[in-house]
Amino acid sequence: MRWVDWYGDGSLYVLDVALACCAVEFDAASAAAAAPLPTLDERARVAVVIFGTVTDRLAPAVAAIVDGCEQQAGRRPMVISFGACASSGGPYWDSYAVTKGIDQLLAVDVYVPGCPPPPEALSAVLDQVAGRVPS
Amino acid sequence: MDWRAAVEALKADGFDYFDWLGCVDEIGRQDCLRVVLVVRNLSQRAEPRMLSCSLSRADPRIDTISGVFAGASWHEREAAELFGVEFIGGERRRLLLNPEFEGTPLRKDEVLGARTGVNWPGAKEPGEADFTPGRRRLVPPGVPDPAVWGDRDVSQPSPDPIEISESSVGGRARRRRT
Amino acid sequence: MTSADASHRWIRLIEPACTSCMICARECPTWCINIDSHTESIDGLPPGARDRTQHVLDRFAIDWSLCMYCGICIEECPFDALEWVTEPTHPAPTSDALVEEMVPALSTELA
Repeated sequence: MRWVDWYGDGSLYVLDVALACCAVEFDAASAAAAAPLPTLDERARVAVVIFGTVTDRLAPAVAAIVDGCEQQAGRRPMVISFGACASSGGPYWDSYAVTKGIDQLLAVDVYVPGCPPPPEALSAVLDQVAGRVPS
Repeated sequence: MDWRAAVEALKADGFDYFDWLGCVDEIGRQDCLRVVLVVRNLSQRAEPRMLSCSLSRADPRIDTISGVFAGASWHEREAAELFGVEFIGGERRRLLLNPEFEGTPLRKDEVLGARTGVNWPGAKEPGEADFTPGRRRLVPPGVPDPAVWGDRDVSQPSPDPIEISESSVGGRARRRRT
Repeated sequence: MTSADASHRWIRLIEPACTSCMICARECPTWCINIDSHTESIDGLPPGARDRTQHVLDRFAIDWSLCMYCGICIEECPFDALEWVTEPTHPAPTSDALVEEMVPALSTELA
């Protein structure tokens, strides 16, 4: 789990909450190196991406991470639910131990379908979040 | 020979590498939970050894072997919370499930509640649009026949675990008549 | 080979081939396919023929927030009414918006 300056220019910082297999797509999509979150320019945007299955045991920790990001960044991050598991529980929706989507605990701004979504889907949705394409 | 002594004897015999310890619900074949242990002898090219012990499903208790292999503690905690096995003298903390979680999910007579609570899209027949109530429906895989577990006649005795587990996988539910 | 080739593809309905048999909805491991259909009698039969009916597909929806792209529906369909396509399903701001209605008449109503 690390902050990445996605475009290398301080305009968008992304945190990967890597819970399961979808997280591998983050490495495929990201060319930028991890770095601690700096003091942010007021125009900089911040995104937290939830990758993978949210278990009941871990769900409160994920919610706490997003709250912590909001405090650290001084603004509410865009929350992106990446993949079927993070969006709805996915193939494990019926499990005794799985939360049916992280939106059970916190507000999600974008849901990305896929199992897993390809790396291009992550790049495209972050381009949208950063305002680099007309949405 | 008792369980812990058998494990200690294997360890003394050179099988001092703990591989894994697990549990199997043998309902349908035998009415027991089977605790299985695999240990290896790394210094000689020997086949791994497997030890197993059958426990009653109603009161499954077995000695801990965490004193013999410290690493067995995790495996015992997992078997304890998922099958309800009590490891006497072992660590009792939950491993993967929340402290408030109730049930023994990996037993075969445990029903996946989420599947019973959601309308199965496959329950509709060709030519149907709504889930018409009151009509005998197909049940999805993993859910026992309602006569066994869900909408059963409560004047009949409670279903046996074996009836629930067999019905969940589509087997015939044997009903006792009083 | 780009990663777009290597990644899983997306699933579409070929509506004319669908007979509302329900096999895909029943085989889907994640229960993400929803089908509504009704029965209509067939007109124009020769005189003296017995009444016959057919199923008419009203609604075929896949919930992409659940689908795991296993392709079981495509393999199980006896009428080849489902296929792999390369056009991706796009992200959405709500999980309800990830439910795709694939019967054109219905999707116009909902639009």
